[in-house]
Amino acid sequence: MDTLVEMKGVVKKFPGVTALKDISFDIKAGEVHVLLGENGAGKSTLMKILSGVYQPTEGTIVIGDKEFSKLTPKDSAENGISVIYQELSVINELSIQENLFVGKLPMKKIGPVKVVDYAEMNKRAKELMAKVGLKRDPKTLVEEISISEKQQVEIAKALASDSKVIVMDEPTASLTNEEVNHLFAVIRNLKKEGKGIVFISHKLGEIIEIGDRVSVLKDGAYVGTKLVSEVTQDDLVTMMVGRQVKKNYQHENAPESFENEPVIFEVQNLSRRDGKVNDVSFKLHKGEILGFSGLVGSGRSEMMNAIFGAEPRSNGKIFIDGKEVRIKSPYQAIKNGLAMVTENRRETGFFHNFDIKKNISILPFIKTSKGGGTVGLVSKKFEKECAEKEKQDMNIKCYSVEQNITELSGGNQQKVILGKWVAADSQIIIFDEPTKGIDIGSKSEIYALMRRLSDEGKGVLVVSSELPELLAVCDTIAVFREGEIVETFSHKDATEEKIIKASTADIVRKEGA
Amino acid sequence: MAKSKANQANPADGGLTLKKQKEKLTFNVIWQRYGTFGILVLLLGILAVAKPENFFSTATLTQILAQSSVNILIAMGEFFAILIAGIDLSVGSVVALVGMVTAKLMVAGVPPLLAVLLGILLGAFLGFLNGMLVNVTGLHPFIITLGTQAIMRGVTLIVSNSSAVYGFPASFTNFISKNVFGIFPIVAIIAIVVAVILSFLTRKTKVGRNIYALGGNKDSAWYSGINVNLHTLIVFIISGICSGIAGIVLLGRVGSAEPAAATGFETYAIAASIIGGTSFFGGKGKIFGVVMGGFIIGVINFGMNLLALPSTLQQVVMGALIIGSVALDRFVARKR
Repeated sequence: MDTLVEMKGVVKKFPGVTALKDISFDIKAGEVHVLLGENGAGKSTLMKILSGVYQPTEGTIVIGDKEFSKLTPKDSAENGISVIYQELSVINELSIQENLFVGKLPMKKIGPVKVVDYAEMNKRAKELMAKVGLKRDPKTLVEEISISEKQQVEIAKALASDSKVIVMDEPTASLTNEEVNHLFAVIRNLKKEGKGIVFISHKLGEIIEIGDRVSVLKDGAYVGTKLVSEVTQDDLVTMMVGRQVKKNYQHENAPESFENEPVIFEVQNLSRRDGKVNDVSFKLHKGEILGFSGLVGSGRSEMMNAIFGAEPRSNGKIFIDGKEVRIKSPYQAIKNGLAMVTENRRETGFFHNFDIKKNISILPFIKTSKGGGTVGLVSKKFEKECAEKEKQDMNIKCYSVEQNITELSGGNQQKVILGKWVAADSQIIIFDEPTKGIDIGSKSEIYALMRRLSDEGKGVLVVSSELPELLAVCDTIAVFREGEIVETFSHKDATEEKIIKASTADIVRKEGA
Repeated sequence: MAKSKANQANPADGGLTLKKQKEKLTFNVIWQRYGTFGILVLLLGILAVAKPENFFSTATLTQILAQSSVNILIAMGEFFAILIAGIDLSVGSVVALVGMVTAKLMVAGVPPLLAVLLGILLGAFLGFLNGMLVNVTGLHPFIITLGTQAIMRGVTLIVSNSSAVYGFPASFTNFISKNVFGIFPIVAIIAIVVAVILSFLTRKTKVGRNIYALGGNKDSAWYSGINVNLHTLIVFIISGICSGIAGIVLLGRVGSAEPAAATGFETYAIAASIIGGTSFFGGKGKIFGVVMGGFIIGVINFGMNLLALPSTLQQVVMGALIIGSVALDRFVARKR
């Protein structure tokens, strides 16, 4: 196979920090080269050097037969390198075809005036879209299409500029299983055409499925490159984390069924006004971690939001330790000892304008206030003590609790958020996709924390789209489908296959008919 | 032992964040903390050099303080609206309406103290209306207060029959125009008292902390149990009260209630907040900065009068200085 790009001895120093230490990395035609590593390992920095965003301190980059000591974004694009970032860069206000040819619109002349040749654009857009399997009218506005379709637009855009190497940064992070399969089909096609794909992902299962070679970085250093066919998921984890990671967090002596344990949290006949959740009931027992599986939109998160009072419900009773509680807003939920670690840290979890200490203390302050959270004073002393305690307890890695939360890695941000709920002495903690975008090392810490909280007698509810996660942590797994709980498994007899079957049975039947 | 080790800066197990040391007192940091103050000193310095004969007198100081006070009062209310990533364009109209109603009450024989209290209450009510409209419609405060700006100005014209009101008790105007120890105008003391109260509110109270949280991230605030609507309402009531107090102060200083009073004052209030370091995106800013910002606007105004710039040109210079000072601030902040 031809080598399309070779990065040799790349070093990148930032003031006070060496982000990359002597990294070598190459991309061959027709292969998927997976780049693996925890957050902060240097994957993004390396790819930013390839795309010309950063200039390396040392090292060379060979593209085809040209050698560069540094690249500009223009060099990179002109030499056939495209990067598809996690935050997609499509322009929502333009149509698909305009997005594909942005900056290089096909032109034609009408008399002396050059105008955009829409007919030509439409024709070429259709060809490109066929290659990535995007079945849409090229004139559709991008804001009307789904995230996975936007991603296809990005890939088509890379093809439009005749890229040889396409870097995909966590492309599957917000896709459903079906969309992932579709993306993989597209990637396989690109391989056949001789493109080189750099695939960045934390999901080991996917890496084994789509990758040809895998290179691992750790703390800015190169760990090694292996053929995917010769490694197991466990090997990859060990390479990445540098140690063995625990696989299961259930207690070995846990009972088959928690029926006989006291019920600490119960929901009866919960429904939502918008019909997204219908008549759902469940019980959580002492010492049990209860997981909720199901497709995105099946009602799991929707139910949690309704329980927490963040979104309205039309019916349903909530009991904590056998006592009915009235919850119509998050404030009331918090007052009653509920906590919710939301799916999107950035959007609904933390305050980017606050340091760690303020992000933690906000919750105990709210919980101990009166008048809807307004009445009371903030104590700097309490704030500091409380933050220091959670820093220790949650093992938050930071140099000071006065550090802004945006400077932390995703895993540490999540620990801060967890810390704020623990600081408020929450009794029932709801986790919605608790490890989204978090590296494996931090993941295992968070799983251990969940188990510890449960052991301390707190209620732990987990919503997750990652089945391995639910299987590793939960004692009981309830499966949602179309707004209802359709099946409940004990972790001992739960398997990925059974859960997938339960969460899709109806849908498959409908499509088959 | 193992635990304490994990929390230390261990280059082998963390991200880049661990290696960062506590921030040093670089020029950048100093600028961020004292930049606004620096601009103020610079402006005063320019005036001192340009017009030393007029500048070095207590009368000058008194006048700058008195002139700035109205702006500082309005700007402190505006600050809260900007802090929640909103804006209050109706401040000038609230100043005018409160001034007009208070004047009318006094002319009608209501004792000045009671009239003043009713005036401030009216300011609070107008802020309440703004807040309610924002909450009920869910529209951006820009739209709501753009509308109420016009409505309140219209009501002022109706109430006043489009003419100025004057002839209210001398006890009121004398009090407002008084200087303590012959130097400190009473209006500056009013502004300082309000500033101290609001500074306490922002730094020491839960409601203050919640407002910053709301400004930083509305959805996170909701999920953290903060009543978004209630805090939005409180913010606009604070803005209304500040403008109300400013309206009364202006009334006392001018000695008559003009239906067109305080037109365009929202520009100065917004400028003072931004120059004072308040983030337009919400969640960041300090009362002290806003006071400095309001003071800077006052000095610029005063300086232009002192240098006898024609009033036609003053608007142009003011606009340019607003852009210039904020741009300078951002430029320096970005440069490393």
